[in-house]
Amino acid sequence: MNRRIKAVLRKEFRSEMRTKNGLATTTLFGVFTVITISMATFDLKISPQLASGLLSVSLLFAAIVALPRTMIVEEEQGTGDLLRLVAKPEDVFWGKALYNLFFMLVTGIILTVLFLGFTGTPLAKPWLYGVCLLGSCCAFTGAVTLCGALVAQASNRTALVGVLSVPLLLPLTFLAVSGLRVAFDMKGGFNVTNGVIAGFGLVCYGFASLAGGPYLFSAVWKR
Amino acid sequence: MRYLFALGVAAATIWSFLVPDVVEFQQPGLARIFLWHFPCPMLATVFIWLGGWFSYRLVKTGDIRFDVRAAASMEIGYLFCILTMATGILFSYVQWGAWWQNDPRQTSFLMVLLIYAAYFALRGALPDEQRRASNSAVYALAALLPVMFLIFVFPRLPQVQSFHPTDSIMQGKIKGQYAWAVMSILTLISILSAWLYRLRVRAGLLELITEDRNDEFGLESDRRDPADTRVVRPVRIPRES
Repeated sequence: MNRRIKAVLRKEFRSEMRTKNGLATTTLFGVFTVITISMATFDLKISPQLASGLLSVSLLFAAIVALPRTMIVEEEQGTGDLLRLVAKPEDVFWGKALYNLFFMLVTGIILTVLFLGFTGTPLAKPWLYGVCLLGSCCAFTGAVTLCGALVAQASNRTALVGVLSVPLLLPLTFLAVSGLRVAFDMKGGFNVTNGVIAGFGLVCYGFASLAGGPYLFSAVWKR
Repeated sequence: MRYLFALGVAAATIWSFLVPDVVEFQQPGLARIFLWHFPCPMLATVFIWLGGWFSYRLVKTGDIRFDVRAAASMEIGYLFCILTMATGILFSYVQWGAWWQNDPRQTSFLMVLLIYAAYFALRGALPDEQRRASNSAVYALAALLPVMFLIFVFPRLPQVQSFHPTDSIMQGKIKGQYAWAVMSILTLISILSAWLYRLRVRAGLLELITEDRNDEFGLESDRRDPADTRVVRPVRIPRES
């Protein structure tokens, strides 16, 4: 990690710590989501398939709520042009993506703890759960950071970022469900190999989207 | 040439009703819609690749003419996606008994359709020509990976069970007159799509030239900012006496 990426990362943390808007919004979103799920399923025994679906959808919407802010805020506050003058697009992307990855991992852990606590769902394979969570967070971060940059100067950016991100993230949600249902499965009803393939597929997808991100981002950021 | 093409389409349509029934289908007569359904996803995929290629060229060179080509490819691809869904839903109702089967291939193609729709939503939200071109090109490139996953990987995953056969072409299960009918319709629709693409590109390039000329002479551009709500009101100019 070079000096400029560290500077962008530090700037993101400092501006977040100053207002704590993003952290508060995302934590509250996580709490409300999990409480809504536990209310909707209070008299049900949640199956691994249902649990993985609910958790993946919660992660998906948490990513769409939390991650594009880093890009959109620059244009709203008028600081984007200054950043364009002092930093290379690749450094801006990596700085913001790393911050978003950290943020997404924290959100994922909060959501997991709340979800497992409120719904009483047991975790059969924590290592597979960790792989799926890491892969989902990497992939969501790469795609949503880029989508945030794409809509930052559009007319109806808040609505548009969801429209752009959801179709890109739906295949990942399928992989996340395939992996997480094996991680939640206590009875061995699902094929473990398929779960492992899905988990590593998520990680590969995540790395691919983060690796291609800077190249695509520089085409948007400079123009 | 056009008359010859029209004649070809008419002949292929008649032939698609004359080929012998395939007994494996529940309703072999109505299963003929497959002949027209089959080329649509293939051409939609080709045009996605083409859109991705022109988007890559635009990102690489910054030449706005590649945006016209990319947008034309995506528009025609979108059209074929809609046709795939429409003919697929009909086939599903006739052969499998329900308009929507939650079949993985149906769902994955619906997602591809949504990605296309998002591409056009992004284009509509960006008033500046250069920004619209670069941002939509980047989105088209970013969408290539999920689109390829949805079309080629997802339906073939071991945990996914689909009504759609995956070995029809590779293992030569479409054969005889049926294969010839499929190939001839595929060829005709490909020619039609290439013709549509050329027309769309020509219209787009002419639009670009007109815009440049308007800018040169200081005339008002037709590509206004959609977020701009200003209204031009008539003003009374007093006559000089």
